[in-house]
Amino acid sequence: MTERLAYLWPELSLFVATCVVMVLGLSPSRETRRLCAWVSAIGLLVAAGLAANAPIDSEALLPHLMPFAKLLIALVGLVLLMLLAGTVDRDYEAEIASGRAVFNALRSNRAEFYSFFLFSLTGLMLTASAESLIWLFLALELTSLPTYVMVTISTRGTQSQEAGVKYFFLGALGAAFFLYGFALIYGGTGATHFADIAGIIATEGMNPILTLGMILGLIGVSFKIAAVPMHFYTPDVYQGAAASVSAMLAFVPKTAGFLAIIVLCALMGWRYGPGGESLPEAVRMLLWISAALTMTVGNTLALRQRSVKRLLAYSSIAHSGYMLVGVVAGPGSDPARFTTNGIAAVLFYLLCYGFMNVGAFAVLAALRRPDGTEADDIDDIRGLCHTQPLLGWSMVLCALSLLGMPPLLGFIGKFGLFTSAISAGEIVLVVILGLNSAVAAAYYLRLVVTPYLERPPERDAMGVQRVAIPSRPIVAVVSACSVVVLVLAAQFLVTRSAIAGRVLEARPPASADARP
Amino acid sequence: MTLAGTDPSTYLPIFLMLLAAVTFAVGTVVATTVIGPRRDGKNKGSTYESGMTPVATARKRFNVRFYLIAVVFLVFDIEVVFLYPWASTFANLEPGSEQALTWLARILFFLFTTVVAYLYGFRKGVFRFD
Repeated sequence: MTERLAYLWPELSLFVATCVVMVLGLSPSRETRRLCAWVSAIGLLVAAGLAANAPIDSEALLPHLMPFAKLLIALVGLVLLMLLAGTVDRDYEAEIASGRAVFNALRSNRAEFYSFFLFSLTGLMLTASAESLIWLFLALELTSLPTYVMVTISTRGTQSQEAGVKYFFLGALGAAFFLYGFALIYGGTGATHFADIAGIIATEGMNPILTLGMILGLIGVSFKIAAVPMHFYTPDVYQGAAASVSAMLAFVPKTAGFLAIIVLCALMGWRYGPGGESLPEAVRMLLWISAALTMTVGNTLALRQRSVKRLLAYSSIAHSGYMLVGVVAGPGSDPARFTTNGIAAVLFYLLCYGFMNVGAFAVLAALRRPDGTEADDIDDIRGLCHTQPLLGWSMVLCALSLLGMPPLLGFIGKFGLFTSAISAGEIVLVVILGLNSAVAAAYYLRLVVTPYLERPPERDAMGVQRVAIPSRPIVAVVSACSVVVLVLAAQFLVTRSAIAGRVLEARPPASADARP
Repeated sequence: MTLAGTDPSTYLPIFLMLLAAVTFAVGTVVATTVIGPRRDGKNKGSTYESGMTPVATARKRFNVRFYLIAVVFLVFDIEVVFLYPWASTFANLEPGSEQALTWLARILFFLFTTVVAYLYGFRKGVFRFD
């Protein structure tokens, strides 16, 4: 057990940063409070450095997953941190600075906001390094619980409180589902450690309780990735929260969910089954139907949205559907090849989605209406390329990448999903994926046409303005640039994700007494 | 070899327990309706039949500090609950062995997290009663 500590240094560095931020953010001195964002950034940078040099866990089912996932989490986390900076307590700090208010620790939310963000990322990294069912459950909950609070305190309006309550109760429902599923998995195998469970399944096959447990577990985790049948909360929560927090919601829980789904499927092995080619039929059908429905529901409902945040929420549902195709496809016959490895495609797509989605939300977060509220309506970004060229073009690039336009990063991500599904023989699913990509063009192109081709509103005073937080436009531009620039590094990234997506064959239990 | 979890006969005690629970619940309801006395009156209709007479409505505003104290207490409570299983196992470990030191380090880390929680509470002003 102690040797497990060697894998947990990135988490520990985030934890230390969390503790420091928690105390610093409540300091009576204004200068000390301002250090919160910087300490968080240092914690994330250290975590990224440690993750890049993390040892390989040769005992795990996916031995190379941990370093890849943690580095990805730390890097997207840094971008998210820049976006989240200044979300809470802006007005309050301004009042204090001008002497109209005195600092009251009970009214301040800054310490909680940053430390909850870091806690959530710690949970996400712990999900990547999970080695037993209990660990996985706790890590998933550590990822989600802070986000409920972050949604609630992200704005001062009642909308975000409503969103927070909805998110919390439905999140509890999802957690109950997968906890019950995990209990049944334990009931069916008598083991909680992944290595033991995988070994038992490899030698004795599935039994009904175990299958039921896996199905419940996958349904529960589909809440985290916002997939059908647990997608209902997504538009309301994303719209109610501040745009910066919505960007985080679309990446952090989704990544945790996909890591959990990949691990759960790896326990059964994609080589399971009479033909020796796929997941157990019941589980495969569940994932197949969920993938097809999630894509279709997400894209169809996104078509008629006027609120850009709701549109991006439905697009986030659709993207979960795309990634589930990769899970159904599995690691394929030659895991080292990116084009046949669905797991590698999912991991790479998470990276792509992280950047392009954060970029799109960052544009919204960087704009405000004349009355001080956040830009949200599609009319708010009308003619943005003419009034705010940098933000406008960032939106255009991110939307095109989300659509999967060829030279951009999103295309390479989708390409991997297509080829892996074709090589796994999932032709019907590939056709559904193709049709959905065409449907998605209709609304993503609206995000391109509205800022670029349409004229801005005549009266300048009525138009949206840039918020006074300089880090937000920077995030938008950085994300838009990475959508283009990372294509140049695609060869490297694709190779790394193919290595990370390698799934080992489960070994039979070492000895009979491994089972209680 | 069948797994213990899939053999239906191992669940017999659970079904017996369920049966007993349902019988008891239904039985008591039926029994009270059949043999219970029915007398009405002023006391019978009050909020707490055998307690104090209520003086005001329950919709009263409490100081938020009570909730903070409750939450702070929970932190401590959970801490102690987890100390018990740790302590009962720690006694069985060989003194001075590497395993014992690992276990000690773990619980010290766990206690450290509580210190952080209380430090946070202190800075937040939870312990300031004025």
